[in-house]
Amino acid sequence: MAVRREKAERLADEELMPLVGRKDPEAFAVLYDRHGGAAYSLAYRIVGDRAAAEEVTQEAFISVWRSGARFDAARGSVRSWLLSVVRNRAIDFLRSRAGKAPKLSFDDDAVLEQRPAEERTDEEALRRETAAELRGAIGKLPGEQSKVIELAYFGGFSHSEISRMLNLPMGTVKGRMRLGLEKIRGELAEGLA
Amino acid sequence: MNVSDHDSRSEDLAAYVLGALDGDEVAAFERHLEGCERCQEEMRWLEPAVATLPETIERLEAPPQLRETLMAEVLEDVREAEGRPARRRSWRQWVLKPAMGLAVVALLVAGVVGYEVGKDDSGGEGGAPSTIERQVGSLTVKMVSEGDGGTLHLSGVDQLPPDKVLEAWVEREGKVEAVPALFVPDREGQAETRITDMNGVATVMVTEEPRGGSDQPTGEPIMTMSVPQ
Repeated sequence: MAVRREKAERLADEELMPLVGRKDPEAFAVLYDRHGGAAYSLAYRIVGDRAAAEEVTQEAFISVWRSGARFDAARGSVRSWLLSVVRNRAIDFLRSRAGKAPKLSFDDDAVLEQRPAEERTDEEALRRETAAELRGAIGKLPGEQSKVIELAYFGGFSHSEISRMLNLPMGTVKGRMRLGLEKIRGELAEGLA
Repeated sequence: MNVSDHDSRSEDLAAYVLGALDGDEVAAFERHLEGCERCQEEMRWLEPAVATLPETIERLEAPPQLRETLMAEVLEDVREAEGRPARRRSWRQWVLKPAMGLAVVALLVAGVVGYEVGKDDSGGEGGAPSTIERQVGSLTVKMVSEGDGGTLHLSGVDQLPPDKVLEAWVEREGKVEAVPALFVPDREGQAETRITDMNGVATVMVTEEPRGGSDQPTGEPIMTMSVPQ
């Protein structure tokens, strides 16, 4: 039997997932309402097209709905898992469109002009604040490090592809990835998040 | 797991958590990871850094129709799981495409209403031509069926920009197919295309598309018409 909307809203994401696994539409709706905006934003950032971003987000959430049991709490939060599903779908979409160039800049001019999502909860407001700080942290990375991380994460390029694109040895590319991630992780460890 | 093996593989770790290893490298690294506690530990350390990346982009508001489409799909799954007949609307994917929206719903309704009030000349038997004529908004739509195919005539069509054409679409057994013959209106606003196979077609729709046509509708339909079976 499906839980009532009010009850579902009081549950943590990790508590919603078993309900989604049992095909509870209210639990799924709450999950979407919490993370749909972030998922759509990520999809748009990667594919650079609103219609495609909508398609990617829909496919990702439907796959979550139909295989909710795949979530492994030991590997991280529901939100991270959901966004990784969206990211994978978006990268697949890009790869299926040969010649489609991903958006490749941390300067989000294109998305900044869009209307921001409504801040519905304190948690969301905090997340925005944290995101702004994280952007600052990433902005402080040397360009050579942020570039390889961005090409990999948002562009879906492998280290060997990036190596060819930037005309760098593969070891250098992997080293810059490592250094950049360690710096971001260091910022997190210092209590940024 | 010896130290040198770890050292030789650990440089792949960041690329792995970023999803940037090549296909064959992924399997090799995962085999290493399985037996290397240091790499497992380092991966647990680095993963949150990757998880923050999507949080650093500016947030957009997801289009409302995305939620509607998604929940419609979810509720149909529930209906099917409960053994109730599905009510999947084959045009939903079109109707709720971002480039479309409520205006399309209105046009769909208009199309159905048009059928109710339109002229339906069933013609003779044995494959003799039959004509359906309807008023859909400002357009007069005439579908002449003959044999397996038919000709779609539109009157009152606005002139198109030079980089646009008209493309017709048919819905058949729940699937949407493009009609190959692209067309444009003449100076009098008359436009016509041939649909070679009308068998099983439930609905016909026309959209404006870029020159060369599209694989799927990208704009609001200028007309939608149901076809009696």
